[in-house]
Amino acid sequence: MTLSFFTDLFQQDFLFRAMIAGVILGIIAPLLGSIVVIRRLSFIADTLGHFSLVGISVSLFLSTLGFPYFLDHSLYLGIIFSVVGGLMVELFRRSYKNYKEISMVIVISLGAALSAIFFSLSKKTGSLFNYLFGSILTITNDSVWLIFYTAILVGLLFLIFGKQIIAVSFEEAKAKLLGVNVNLFQILFMVMLSVVVSVLLESVGVLLISSMMIIPVAAAMKVGWSFKSTTIIAIVFSELSVFFGLWSSHSIGVPSGAAIVSFNVLLLLVVSTIKKLRGNKRIPKDVPTPNLFD
Amino acid sequence: MQIDVHNLTYAYGQKLVLQNLSLSLQRGDYVVVRGKNGSGKSTFVKCLLGLNAVKSGMIFYNHQDINNFKDWTSIGYVSQKMEDFNYEFPITVNEYLSVSSLRRTRQSDRLRMLDKMGILELLNQNINNLSGGELQRTFIVRSMLNQPKMLILDEPTASVDVKSAEFFFQTVNELNAQGVTVVIVSHHDTFERMNYTHVLTLHSDMSFEFETRERHRQKEGIQS
Repeated sequence: MTLSFFTDLFQQDFLFRAMIAGVILGIIAPLLGSIVVIRRLSFIADTLGHFSLVGISVSLFLSTLGFPYFLDHSLYLGIIFSVVGGLMVELFRRSYKNYKEISMVIVISLGAALSAIFFSLSKKTGSLFNYLFGSILTITNDSVWLIFYTAILVGLLFLIFGKQIIAVSFEEAKAKLLGVNVNLFQILFMVMLSVVVSVLLESVGVLLISSMMIIPVAAAMKVGWSFKSTTIIAIVFSELSVFFGLWSSHSIGVPSGAAIVSFNVLLLLVVSTIKKLRGNKRIPKDVPTPNLFD
Repeated sequence: MQIDVHNLTYAYGQKLVLQNLSLSLQRGDYVVVRGKNGSGKSTFVKCLLGLNAVKSGMIFYNHQDINNFKDWTSIGYVSQKMEDFNYEFPITVNEYLSVSSLRRTRQSDRLRMLDKMGILELLNQNINNLSGGELQRTFIVRSMLNQPKMLILDEPTASVDVKSAEFFFQTVNELNAQGVTVVIVSHHDTFERMNYTHVLTLHSDMSFEFETRERHRQKEGIQS
């Protein structure tokens, strides 16, 4: 069965596309997820996903009004709406400084309500299952390219602003003293996150987006000893889940997004159990004596 | 850095904490801020850091209104507790200092500071595993990393051992001698380790005294 998976991977375009998309998402989801966790915004992916779903439902609705373009390119409106949702979260976060989670509840509720309305108006509620639970196996070439471009964008932003992003995430209140324009940072980060959530939506679905971003990071935090090691371990866990998720989806026919997330949770449980058995110690490491005259 | 505070008034809701506070510090001045709990010391520090928005009164850095001030990286800050710091996600001391450093700050400078503070061996340790004192020493190193023009220190050595505190004050004195302006909040009644030039005493009734070192020592009966 495993062998047929590998053979099919290189013979069947849909499976190859799904693997490429999964591998790329397996890198960017936990990379952004680690920042989201540090900033204690774990619910944000769900929130943005729900608003992205509004964009998709509006696209479907517009396609029934005689704009067929929107039927094949629903993701674009999904991204735009997700960005709008992200900016709304930032806006509400400033109104409820000590109750930041309220902002997410407001936006998630509005997103769910508007999605239901537009899906109903478009009379295409049949496609709802795919958007709720994802369908990476049916991903199109265009979407794979979109995921690729998104990854390049995220990679570039981390390359240029990585230091500031990490520093501000650890000490948001002191961002100004680190020479960071707080407002610009918040908006940039929210836009970047909105785009990633939208491209994740097609693959793992709105209900499973946050698990793809957060669970590998949660597992990696159990064993990581530095920011770098934790992020790398999270990406490794995420890639393992993508691989085994696609393999099980292909082999036993379970939904791919659900399978990927189930493997993520399984890894978390395994890591947590091992850590508990080993007495809650982080992986030991050698601490080299640094050279003072580098 | 030159600091001018004009009629600074600050309130949390209806509760006034600072009223018409005014003072002027030149480049290289060293002011000790003291007062009882609730007298507004931390509020004053937060106003200087731009964390409390100044609505009544004005603060100028080098003649520039704090609301238009951009050069925040030239201010080093240490608080008694870094209550806003996110302690749970793994990050090493080296990573933390590295992301907090400006480009011009060299790794060798970071290592020398850590060495002097006696925490060089903690370089690759996860910050989560540090004791309160070790963590505070890490924050002290960070405040001095980016060649600050002003240091704002809120009870910086509260949880630090005597030796590290001595090095810390010695370093502050050295930076001050090079022209760095220092504002330090201290509960201690004697400031023998500090080369202070002024003392700002805040009272619970919102009155204040801003005195030169000589005037303060004369009043307190301290021999020169």
